[in-house]
Amino acid sequence: MNWKARSATLAAVLAFALTAVACGSSPSSGGGGTATPKGTITIGGFKFSEGSVLAELYGQALEHDGYSVQFKLNLGSREVVAPAIKSSQIDLYIGYAATDLEYWNNAAGEATGDVNATTSKLNGHLQSLNLEALKPSAAVDQNAFAMTKANATKYNATKLSDLASIGNQIVLGAGPECPTRPFCKPGLEQTYGIHFKDFKALDTDGPLTRAAFANNSIQLGLVFSSDADLNNLGLVVLQDDKHLEAADNVVPIVRTPVATAEVTRILNAVSAGLTTSELVQLNSQVELQHQDADSAAQAFLQQHNYFS
Amino acid sequence: MSIVVKVVQWFTDPAHWSGSDGIPTRLVEHLQLSAESVLIGAVIALPIGIVLGHYGRFGNVAMNISNVGRAIPTFALLVLSFQIFGLGDTPIIISLTALAIPPMVTNSYVALREVDPDIKEAARGMGYRELAQIMRVELPLAVPLIMAGIRTSAVQVVATATLAALIAGGGFGRYIIDGLAQFDFTKMVAGAILVALLALATETGLAALERVLVPRGLRLLSAPAARRVAFKTA
Repeated sequence: MNWKARSATLAAVLAFALTAVACGSSPSSGGGGTATPKGTITIGGFKFSEGSVLAELYGQALEHDGYSVQFKLNLGSREVVAPAIKSSQIDLYIGYAATDLEYWNNAAGEATGDVNATTSKLNGHLQSLNLEALKPSAAVDQNAFAMTKANATKYNATKLSDLASIGNQIVLGAGPECPTRPFCKPGLEQTYGIHFKDFKALDTDGPLTRAAFANNSIQLGLVFSSDADLNNLGLVVLQDDKHLEAADNVVPIVRTPVATAEVTRILNAVSAGLTTSELVQLNSQVELQHQDADSAAQAFLQQHNYFS
Repeated sequence: MSIVVKVVQWFTDPAHWSGSDGIPTRLVEHLQLSAESVLIGAVIALPIGIVLGHYGRFGNVAMNISNVGRAIPTFALLVLSFQIFGLGDTPIIISLTALAIPPMVTNSYVALREVDPDIKEAARGMGYRELAQIMRVELPLAVPLIMAGIRTSAVQVVATATLAALIAGGGFGRYIIDGLAQFDFTKMVAGAILVALLALATETGLAALERVLVPRGLRLLSAPAARRVAFKTA
């Protein structure tokens, strides 16, 4: 069988399996004690490490409150996960506000740096599909600009607007496409008025960027805000205080019939408790220390007294 | 608008002729990387090839080692040496030097081997010592082939130095890599044209140098094959 045929078969089998699972899921409301099962919720996860971490985090919280949770981790990209929730094969996935908005609105460019506006626009698109986005978390996984701790101290910078007056001392490093991307160099110039000494074409948040931070050939570099190794590398993300980047806050997207008051409360509680630095911590436990996503998530929930 | 017009416009835009991403800066970077690599390569390769060719020993070993060197992909070497040496010119120069060495070893070895044994004999008979014989008799005769090796190396290195941009280096490769990332195909084509022009300029420049270096007596004999026959029958 060639690759296409094989993946088509795989997709068919997967779809069948998911449908079979989803048919059983109709969480009943009512019932108080954590002992009695309240029905099954199927949670889907993106095919990257953080996707599994987040799915485990929210899923285990639901489990703790008496729901039986089916984990469908590493399903694929949004192009796989989103159709799965649309066709009720999964009940819930943990998305990112701006990216999900741009997916569901067919890249209409509505996402902004304002997380609440972005989420309510997202809900506008989800409503007719019988889906809803819950309250976004403060934790974000989005383009961010980082400095080494030494440089952040030297330039006394905690937020991007601190750099406006000292741009001529700073070399910006990012992927080669950065000089033409509105959320990269042109955005920093227009929104923050930073005029850099130079730009160094590296990669997008890869080994070149890390090497360039290490030998100080760049002072400011593009990273993702929840990268597992930010702490290890001694990098600090400067606050995007003028909201240049689209708000990719972590946000649960759930099928409306499943989103009972109790499910909503449980998921919102997890969202409210999670910050970006905790997400970095979790990612580093999973990606760098090779813990399992489920045990890392469990330890996190215990630490934050979620289970008490 | 046709791509030709766009490329012409790209070249005539004054913005592309100044600043850290301007053509002059990139040209200097490209030449510097290439020249350093070829020079270091020549310092390593020419003595090896000349000595082995002069004595006519271990020729097969040298050839085989330098042929294995040709088989190593420059890109793989670039990524490996980046892992070891980090960001900067060092990994680029190391991989380009490795690319530059084999043609120069092979050509200088063959060049010295090909010097007519009768001429060597005559030199020895006239009282030349080993070093004087190499310097004053064999090398002048070997210049055309040695220069051909240097030319091959230099052209390869100039064309391959574009890879530097993959690990954040400078040079004309920047236009190709950046153009690809930005979907700016005009920039890519412009970069490719600049690299091709520079490679051609290297070729012709070194050919001119070769004409200066080749002894007058050899220059008069145009075809190499005719030359060999001329000496043998003389």
